[in-house]
Amino acid sequence: MMNKQFNIILVVLMVMCSKIELTAQQNPTPSPKQSKSVLILNGIAHIGNGEKIENSAIGFKDGKLTLVADARVIRIDMSAYDTIIYADGSHIYPGFIATNSTLGLLELDLVRQTNDESETGTFKPSIRSAISYNTDSEIIPTVRSNGVLMGQITPRGGVISGTSSVMQFDAWNWEDALIREDDGVHLNWPGVYHRHYDKGKISIEKVKTYDQQLREIQSFFRDAKAYCSAGKQTLIDLRFAALCDLLSGKKILYVHASDAKAMTEAINFKVEFSIPKMVIIGGYDAYLIADQLVSHSIPIMLERIHSLPRFNEDDVDLPYKLPKLLYDAGIKFCIQNEGDMERMGARNLPFHAGTAVAYGLPYEEAVRALTLAPAQILGIDETCGSLESGKDATLFISSGDALDMKSNAVTAAFIQGRLIDLSSKQTELYHKYKKKYDEQKK
Amino acid sequence: MTQKSLTAILLLLLVHTLAAQPTYPYNGILPKSVTTLALIHGTIVLDDQTSIQDGMMIIQDGRIVSVGAQLSIPSNAVIIDLGGKYVYPSFIDLYSDYGISNSTGQTEKRGNHEVPAALPASDKGAFGWNPAIKSETNASTLFVPKDESAKELRNIGFGAVLSHRMDGIARGTGALVCLADNPNISVIRPIAAACYSFNKGTSNQSYPSSLMGSIALLRQTYYDADWYSKGGSKEERNLSLEALNLSKKLPSIFDAGDKWNVLRADKIGDEFGIQYTMKTSGNEYQRLAEIKQTGASLIVPINFPDAYDVSDPFVTRLVSLEEMKHWELAPANCSMLAKEKINFAITSHGLQDKNLFLKNLRKAVKQGLSEQDALRALTTTPAQILQAEKEIGKLQPGYWANFIITSKNIFADDAVIYENWIQGKQFIIESSKKKNVTGKFQLTISNTNYDLTVNDDGGKNKASIQVIQPSKDKDGKEIQDTLTYPVTLTLMNEQLSISFEAKDNQNKGVIRLAGDISDDEKTWSGKGQLSDGKWIDWKSSKTAEAEVKKNEIKPDNAPIERGDIIYPFVAYGSKSAPTQETILIINATIWTSDAAGKIENGQILISGGKIVAVGQTIDAGKSNGAKVIDAKGKHVTPGIIDEHSHIALESVNEGSQASSAEVEESRVIDPEDINIYRQLSGGVTCSQLLHGSANPIGGQSAIIKLRWGKNAEEMLFKGAPGFIKFALGENVTQSNWWNDGTRFPQSRMGVEQIYYDHFIRAREYGQKKEAYLSSSVKKNTTPLKPFRTDIEMDALYEILQKKRFVTCHSYVQSEINMLMHVADSMQFTLNTFTHILEGYKVADKMKSHGSGASSFSDWWAYKYEVKDAIPYNGALLWEQGITVAFNSDDAEMARRLNQEAAKAVKYGGVPEEEALKFVTINPAKLLHIDKQTGSLAVGKDADLVIWSDHPLSIYARAEKTFVDGVCYYDESRDREMRAVMEKERARLIQKMMASKQNGDPTQMPTFKDKKHFHCDTLDQTSLGISFK
Repeated sequence: MMNKQFNIILVVLMVMCSKIELTAQQNPTPSPKQSKSVLILNGIAHIGNGEKIENSAIGFKDGKLTLVADARVIRIDMSAYDTIIYADGSHIYPGFIATNSTLGLLELDLVRQTNDESETGTFKPSIRSAISYNTDSEIIPTVRSNGVLMGQITPRGGVISGTSSVMQFDAWNWEDALIREDDGVHLNWPGVYHRHYDKGKISIEKVKTYDQQLREIQSFFRDAKAYCSAGKQTLIDLRFAALCDLLSGKKILYVHASDAKAMTEAINFKVEFSIPKMVIIGGYDAYLIADQLVSHSIPIMLERIHSLPRFNEDDVDLPYKLPKLLYDAGIKFCIQNEGDMERMGARNLPFHAGTAVAYGLPYEEAVRALTLAPAQILGIDETCGSLESGKDATLFISSGDALDMKSNAVTAAFIQGRLIDLSSKQTELYHKYKKKYDEQKK
Repeated sequence: MTQKSLTAILLLLLVHTLAAQPTYPYNGILPKSVTTLALIHGTIVLDDQTSIQDGMMIIQDGRIVSVGAQLSIPSNAVIIDLGGKYVYPSFIDLYSDYGISNSTGQTEKRGNHEVPAALPASDKGAFGWNPAIKSETNASTLFVPKDESAKELRNIGFGAVLSHRMDGIARGTGALVCLADNPNISVIRPIAAACYSFNKGTSNQSYPSSLMGSIALLRQTYYDADWYSKGGSKEERNLSLEALNLSKKLPSIFDAGDKWNVLRADKIGDEFGIQYTMKTSGNEYQRLAEIKQTGASLIVPINFPDAYDVSDPFVTRLVSLEEMKHWELAPANCSMLAKEKINFAITSHGLQDKNLFLKNLRKAVKQGLSEQDALRALTTTPAQILQAEKEIGKLQPGYWANFIITSKNIFADDAVIYENWIQGKQFIIESSKKKNVTGKFQLTISNTNYDLTVNDDGGKNKASIQVIQPSKDKDGKEIQDTLTYPVTLTLMNEQLSISFEAKDNQNKGVIRLAGDISDDEKTWSGKGQLSDGKWIDWKSSKTAEAEVKKNEIKPDNAPIERGDIIYPFVAYGSKSAPTQETILIINATIWTSDAAGKIENGQILISGGKIVAVGQTIDAGKSNGAKVIDAKGKHVTPGIIDEHSHIALESVNEGSQASSAEVEESRVIDPEDINIYRQLSGGVTCSQLLHGSANPIGGQSAIIKLRWGKNAEEMLFKGAPGFIKFALGENVTQSNWWNDGTRFPQSRMGVEQIYYDHFIRAREYGQKKEAYLSSSVKKNTTPLKPFRTDIEMDALYEILQKKRFVTCHSYVQSEINMLMHVADSMQFTLNTFTHILEGYKVADKMKSHGSGASSFSDWWAYKYEVKDAIPYNGALLWEQGITVAFNSDDAEMARRLNQEAAKAVKYGGVPEEEALKFVTINPAKLLHIDKQTGSLAVGKDADLVIWSDHPLSIYARAEKTFVDGVCYYDESRDREMRAVMEKERARLIQKMMASKQNGDPTQMPTFKDKKHFHCDTLDQTSLGISFK
């Protein structure tokens, strides 16, 4: 039995070393389907549902979790496992989920050839991010090595930017990567205020065309509703067809809105068009209209926590404590990081949650905001989002607290049970030059 | 009358009689100014000091002959009885472009990338190269009287203005003109003042594109003018410089605007021995001490903001605290200036509706400006500023007869200006004989009586008729029916015309009446026509006076409620600044970033802004009287230093030329940027404010300490050496522009040549300068050609002299090596490579050259040249023995730089204490300020932070941030300030609501957010594409 035990760190190092020589400048190879049984013992397990097991036993086989328990209180048949990993003192988390992300759609911001995050046009619900998702993006390996193992890949631009899909980050191609295809349609709520530049200052004023834009959205949905309720169509309109599942509740309407006015109008819109599932992405002002959001069961994908306050008068730490405010108000929310450098910055997603803890959110709630909460919001919580038997074995082990950059050190990560390679172009460049200087010293 | 003044009058009469020899032809019989006018029985306000009750004034030929209580009136004089009305000197406006065609032209071209690169060619002729320097402009040659605009100004009491062409940085000279029609008489001083601004106006040249560029251009122009006058004119003909030199003797007026710009302009003036008179924006009260210190006279607008419409609580969040407070305090600006004894004139400029001028003037008086000071600011002060105080601004013999006649004290709310006399010519503004038609009347038409009511509705007559007539209701019951007709009533040349549509039993259809008013205003009568065309007689007699609306205006002695002036004048400003304290911090984990390393359970004593002691324990005697802070479980570190920041700046890039070494960020610091406070809340105490990366040779940096509440000069780090920004790569080659640029260089190859060219020129310049300086010391050498100070070359020469250091924006290894070669060949060391994301590839070369690195912790992939950036960069550089810092280049990330330092531990395993140095002593070393700050050692500045947790941890909050021993950020005080701010906003919102209900105009809220600059934020861009 002893010969089946591995020190996980060794495994990882072996994989990394072999890569340096063989596959320099290439993304890591996706791992083969997992079948053997694995047991991770004695780690501090953060379940994702708000609970924590200080000394855990976590088993999985065929990519699915088979055991999540307190190692001190259950009897474990060690012989039933092919591999046993001792994670004494390490932390175990469900794979973090990057919601509202453009990973794989855009590689280098300023190189147009690498930019596929946005299609031209205004109303384009049938546009699908999934087919543009590049599994060979060099950014993705740098993100998963910090514990972010899944993402909702979301198109940008226009009023209705298109349809997102949920992906896992270890795949040969986009079909393999799919967790949930076409999970929902993204509506960018028109700004009630817009910015313009005048004499060195940016001012924001009520948008003159706001009412007009709102009418256009309403008329688009009115037409779609008529189209979808008509049953079989002789003429197919792809735009409206893409909304039928949304109107029936099979897909989610993601409304991108941040200020109180826009969110209130979006809620009215949900009621007017009887939209079954709506999620707000942004939500800076959500705490101001908490009652409405709760009574209409609208969750929030909260805008980037590491942001400056919007108004000079706002509490200097307002963005940092928004998660705590939402938590206190009973609003369901998850944490995302749309904005400047969002793709390369996705590896810092855990630290946004860490800041939320520093400003009052209970730790396990912060973990939930990156795991079970997004899984529930995305409608994938049957299989993802927490360490519970029967769910995908998508998880990682960090030798320290993963929400703190000081201690985030992922030693092993599994996606659907597959042990993934944590190296990246960046680690390769690091070793290449470290070796150069080490040899100079000799 | 004294003998003296009589002689003066006789002389004047003599002169005028003889002098009437106009050069211009006249179509008809030439009118001569022979009429003498005597205005009698007036309250004559001679100036802001003296007035005469029941006085008289005699004028002739456009000028005042005499003025006094009793004068002998010449027998040929036309006598005007003022009947107790008031006479004041007409007002003088020093900021005007009256009569100057195309004064402002189109507004400054900003907001796109299509501005052509700065090209040396000029399309102007033998003038200066930059079209924003228009010192050759002579406003008097452009001046054509425009009655429409003259009337606008006369109606509100003005008699003379200083008119200039409001275009450019050096705008040439302005002319003092009276608001009368004949230019040959009304231009009383054709070259009266030299005018300046920071706005390049209609210039199509892209340079300057920023405020600091404008400042540099003006300074260089003054240096050029100096050189020109000392002999440069033998080398070239430059009419702009000639004109500038001529105008140096004149009063100089600078359109500065904002309070900080007043200080910026004054600094230029000090350099060249010029005291500008500053045209301001009306917010000087926010910095009275600094404004007073400039010694400048001011020209102050009174265009007070309307209240904001704050009825929607969500939208109200868009109104900033400073806007709310400014709304309340702006009308008190003048009174506060007067209280500080700051010399100021008042201008009507900036008022969209000139009719608000008197209303706002009275508002200022109600806010405490004395009537005397108000009148002085409109008469004698502007006259003195133009050195025309012997000609206008007072009612005295020999002065131009510019005066207004008012119904009563002009500062009374209901005072009316009847007439404005300009150079002895009468302009009637409102008839003083206007008949009153308000009241209740019985109007009789044929045999029908109507009840007519006429009320005064804000200066207009509002009339209506009521008729009561018997009628029957639905059930046939007899009732009294009341009919109301709206009535149109106009009064023209004392003639009435009345019309209304009748619907009663006697008359139907429109009835039109015309008639006269009796002298006692009690009866009206005349002829009219009924709807059928029949002519009738009508009359009307007054039955009662009109009901006067209750006066709702608060009595003048009501206490004026005003909020505090806070420093800075934005959110989180406070009435009084925090002060230096003697503080002993005990039981803390102290990260010294110094030889003492990390001290567990340590103590640190600060006093007088310095660290007095630090260690495990401190000599108890030293800490007597110190305030003790128990920091058990907490950590103390040096204040964080951000080597690369663009906060607190009015402008970042002057990128129109390949080199802008002459521009200085230190001149455009915005000390009221909220991000200063926000960064204090993240433990930052010191920042290098860098020029952007738009050109290979950028501008000079400013190193500041974050002394929140202080002014720009006070924020500058005393004793820090000069720095300058260089940049390499995609930004300077403009390769991310969506259209191809034209400005050299467009490739990395061109960048190298720019450096060689400029350094070789700087070296040659330096030799010339040294030779010149030594020749002026040695007397017997032959005089050299005059030396032209070139502020761009000075900055570059300082680099060669190792007096100025370079921080170079850099990414890719090839060009990093190139620049080190350039520096080697020019015998200086490239001090700091900033960003330096490929530094890990050339760490060995950097080490041997002696450069430091100031990098991002983990940024990459935002453009092509950072595709090889890795988060291990910091660690690899550090391992090679290079001084490594992590910087922000981002106002948000700057408040988490301690966490960025932690990434050096995560990526590459730098020891914790060394990682913390990446944001403390290492950037201090790179900035050559490590003797003063950056670590916790005895004798150094008390710049430090108390953290709630391990300083490299995400969970650490800065609880207190000290700069020079002053606690500028304190978590608990911050909470108090939030409450104070909320209360102040609530008070102002209530006050604005009251103002709205009172019927005052309101404006919709707008949110004015400062731009958040990154490296390549171009000032011209609309939203500042912000990639790094």
